[in-house]
Amino acid sequence: MKLFKSSLLAMALTSITSVAHAQSVAISNATIYTSTSQGVLTNATLVVDNGKITSINPATVSADITIDAQGKVLTPGFIGTMNTLGLVEVSAVAGSRDASEKKADMTFDPSMAFNPLSTAIAYARKGGITTNVVVPQGGESIFKGQAFVVNLTGNMDSVIGNQTALLVSLGAKKEGSRAFDLQELFNKFDDAQQALNKAKTKADKNKEDSDKEPKRDEKIINAVLAGTMPLLAEADRASDLLALIKLKQKFGLDVIIAGGADAVLVAKELSEAKIPVLIDAMRNLPGSFDSLHTSLESAAMLTKAGVKVVLSAGGAHNLYQLRFDAGNAVSNGLSKEQAINAVTKNVADVFNLASGSIAVGKNADLVLWSGDPFEFSSKVEKMWIDGEEQSTQSRHDKLRDRYMTKSTMPKAYTK
Amino acid sequence: MRKFVPPLLVTAISIATSGCFEVEQQDAKVIINKNPYPSTYQPLPQQKTLITNATLLTGTGERIDEADVLFVDGKITQVGKALVADDATKIDAQGKWVTPGIIDVHSHLGVYPSPSVESHADGNEMTNPVTAQVWAEHSVWPQDPGFQAARAGGITTLQILPGSGNLIGGRGVTLRNVPSESVQGMKFPDAPYGMKMACGENPKRVYGGRKVAPSTRMGNMAGYREAWIKASEYKREWEKYNAEYEAGKNPTPPKRDLALDTLSGVIDGEILVHNHCYKAEEMTQMIDLGKEFNYHSGTFHHAIEAYKIADLLADNGNCAAMWPDWWGFKMEAYDMVQENVAIVNAVKNSCAVVHSDSDTTIQRLNQEASKVLFRGQESGFDIKEEDAIRWITANAAKSLGLSDKTGSLEAGKNADVVIWNGNPFSVYAKAEQVFVDGAKVYDRFDEKYQAKSDFLLGQK
Repeated sequence: MKLFKSSLLAMALTSITSVAHAQSVAISNATIYTSTSQGVLTNATLVVDNGKITSINPATVSADITIDAQGKVLTPGFIGTMNTLGLVEVSAVAGSRDASEKKADMTFDPSMAFNPLSTAIAYARKGGITTNVVVPQGGESIFKGQAFVVNLTGNMDSVIGNQTALLVSLGAKKEGSRAFDLQELFNKFDDAQQALNKAKTKADKNKEDSDKEPKRDEKIINAVLAGTMPLLAEADRASDLLALIKLKQKFGLDVIIAGGADAVLVAKELSEAKIPVLIDAMRNLPGSFDSLHTSLESAAMLTKAGVKVVLSAGGAHNLYQLRFDAGNAVSNGLSKEQAINAVTKNVADVFNLASGSIAVGKNADLVLWSGDPFEFSSKVEKMWIDGEEQSTQSRHDKLRDRYMTKSTMPKAYTK
Repeated sequence: MRKFVPPLLVTAISIATSGCFEVEQQDAKVIINKNPYPSTYQPLPQQKTLITNATLLTGTGERIDEADVLFVDGKITQVGKALVADDATKIDAQGKWVTPGIIDVHSHLGVYPSPSVESHADGNEMTNPVTAQVWAEHSVWPQDPGFQAARAGGITTLQILPGSGNLIGGRGVTLRNVPSESVQGMKFPDAPYGMKMACGENPKRVYGGRKVAPSTRMGNMAGYREAWIKASEYKREWEKYNAEYEAGKNPTPPKRDLALDTLSGVIDGEILVHNHCYKAEEMTQMIDLGKEFNYHSGTFHHAIEAYKIADLLADNGNCAAMWPDWWGFKMEAYDMVQENVAIVNAVKNSCAVVHSDSDTTIQRLNQEASKVLFRGQESGFDIKEEDAIRWITANAAKSLGLSDKTGSLEAGKNADVVIWNGNPFSVYAKAEQVFVDGAKVYDRFDEKYQAKSDFLLGQK
């Protein structure tokens, strides 16, 4: 158990003080959006122990602390994707940016640059975000590097998984042809497949393993070929999405599409190919010739077609808005449960995370909302990551308090 | 004694001022046409309309439940309960909310349109740090599909500004959000022009990167001051010319300068300053700069740190146009607080505005205002829906110099009206019908009133 050094954090933790991990917590009388086949449970009780959800509606509740949710909504913690949280403090300050690297290729693993002390992390917690899939921006290569997973505790051990997915960026280019990139992608897997086959034949013949150690990039391609690492492909135009379906079928990859502006045109094909799509719910303008068909209804249309949809938004700073994006997706055709799944369970499914739903054995990443999680009028009342209660206070609140405090001395004396 | 008959234009003046004194032979007086690209906007077909039983947010700080709005010939004629107008088209708005048309004081629709192709990137004339001579209206592509998307979000009026790469970026233009083949067909009749200025990081980065001035914030200030010195001299030259001409002399007119026309228009109070300026210390300097050169420093846009100088802004009559939550993209955007708008708004005689600067959030300025409303309430501010609506209607109209025409539901105002399916501060709210000058320009349930850009027509 970590002790909180910040007095602000300690003050905010009124219900759990110093021994959270050792103490079990029961949340009673909650309206639980489970993000499972159990759907929504009312007047429900949930018990958390040792960082995990240990029981739901047990016959008898035994816990060190019981919190009466008073009927309020409890959801799994929301999960962000496709952003650079913790890699960028101020976008226009080069020294605070670690998401890109000119020479970056598929071996680029930016997880070592993740800064758990970034002010954007506490801010993101205001939106009930407990976990996040961070992506690199990469460099000149079509392979931008590897995604990694963090929790939003802001603790030094926030990185909970790396080499989560290989990111490739396809489609419209400033110069040159997209076909060249698609060829490069197909050739990469073709070559790797042939090399593996050759090595296998050779090994079979010699009855011993090849002693040739694959290079670092080969290992990554091989992991994607073996299906142990997903290929996360940024693409928008329908023709590019169809090429990715072909790629999946040809090599048996685990393909995830991000962007997918015109995915609605090939929704049936994506559904049949079981390719999930990560989309920005608010993207409804034809920003390029690759994205003439994106609309506010895209999330609902794809979901209806059977595509697993994840709502995501880029940047590093305003991840907290994800819940409002989900609300807008609801007013444009998604059901509330589908929208919650799109920021919890679906993300966990796509990236193999141990959170994202409220079920026994899952990580106790939970948010208790003052009202409808998607409404502007509601806020996070309490949240937990791995069973530990988290504060939603950020540097922004300190600035606000300073300037709202009357003083005869300059504001710099108000701390 | 006059030897020649003066040209027709100035006959009257000459006679009136010459009296019995001998005067020089006068050339035609040079008068600068201040409106060479006049508005040709015509309202769409108007109907006398009575909206009944709605929850009204008037934009004047009032909320009236179960109330009616009547508009006739493009003007609001009555706001109140149980209105009667037998010959009007009636809209039963039971359960719905009605607000003034939404106004965005900061947009780049048309000058940075969708699709964002190089051929249409026309918003930033970054060839010189002072380009007061350029006019945004000469860049606007009226077929930007973003106009329709914004209309579906209740936007009836918007100011299109040049970008912020320059110290002085040029003139903005205020548009009615109606489809048209020409920009003139969208121009808000008799709206004052705006002039874009930019503080801070952008101009010094753009020009500093080329090793020309400005490369520092002090370079920025020197750049503005040099421009205003020239403008002041130019204004004096014209005043002298006019005075001498009035006195019957035949002065040589000053050499026309497009940039200085705009700057002197600001000093004359005819053109309003819209200043991209994030930081407290810079806004404070821009206020003094205005005083140094006898113009009003206008509206501060993106005023991330307005909360630090809220009293000063109110005292000096500056509007502050703000985002609810953008931050972190530049150092000057690091000190954002979610209560910025609420803090500015809490000061007496303040003018807090919520703006978009975005083709995305312009579609939901109601939601942008809503973020502030509820975070503000949580922090103890006494604000309600009827206050928050002012940030995107009446206060925005004030910033644009249009308070007498739009921004509120009051008799005599233009009938710019939005009917929402519920409380516009809910995430689930949608504009159902939008009226500009009493004409329906958008209806969520009637395709007849859903315009489509030429660009999107026939795209498979």
